[in-house]
Amino acid sequence: MREKRKGPIGRAAGLAEGVAATVRRMQREREPRVLVYDETGYARLVQPDGRGHERLLQTAERMVELVDESEIEAKPRRQRARRAAPDGGAE
Amino acid sequence: MAGTLTPERTPRRLCELSADARAAVLLDAAGAPAGCHGVAPARSRDLAQLARTTFEAVDRAHRDIPGGPPEQVEIQVDRGTVYASRTPTWTLAVVARRTALSSLMLMDLRAVLGELEGGTPIRRSTAAAAAAATGAEATEEAAARESPVPELGVEEL
Repeated sequence: MREKRKGPIGRAAGLAEGVAATVRRMQREREPRVLVYDETGYARLVQPDGRGHERLLQTAERMVELVDESEIEAKPRRQRARRAAPDGGAE
Repeated sequence: MAGTLTPERTPRRLCELSADARAAVLLDAAGAPAGCHGVAPARSRDLAQLARTTFEAVDRAHRDIPGGPPEQVEIQVDRGTVYASRTPTWTLAVVARRTALSSLMLMDLRAVLGELEGGTPIRRSTAAAAAAATGAEATEEAAARESPVPELGVEEL
């Protein structure tokens, strides 16, 4: 049986549903989460109220901060090195 | 032997494999740092300590989770993702961008740890255009390393 053609309102509604689904998916992907994998590669989600969940998130956040801080510190050094280079600093 | 992966070079090797890896640290079985890449030397000890804390917390969390002991962990936070993998001898942790693909990053971790433990070296390919630009001399040895699909370039060991 042929599907009934959608009118302009139906098409707009379909488009809005698609956008809403994309936004929901993006929000879900941004949510903090912890997954552990056993030796077979089987993944298990550590539940937000589970033991160690909060500590794992805090540790990971601190690790990311540490790398951010290290990169910020390294940038002025790299810029100074480029300025000091005789050929204008092209790496 | 030339090309053998050492503990000191392992974190750098991992960061070279993946453009999304920002920093990495390798710990030995005792939890002592064996190599670090991507952070200032003054901060490498802190990164190692955090990597150690990660698996301590994983082991604590694992008591509530069915299945075997976790070998790898993936922690997504707002500004990045931390992946870590362990073997009985080594623990390797990496701080990656949020855009990193989990399956690829976890595979890279396993591959690098495998290479460190004397497994198969990771084979990397050079793009055909890049290989041509180097102007490498055509020898039988080079021909032996050529890919059966020339468009994919030559393989590096």
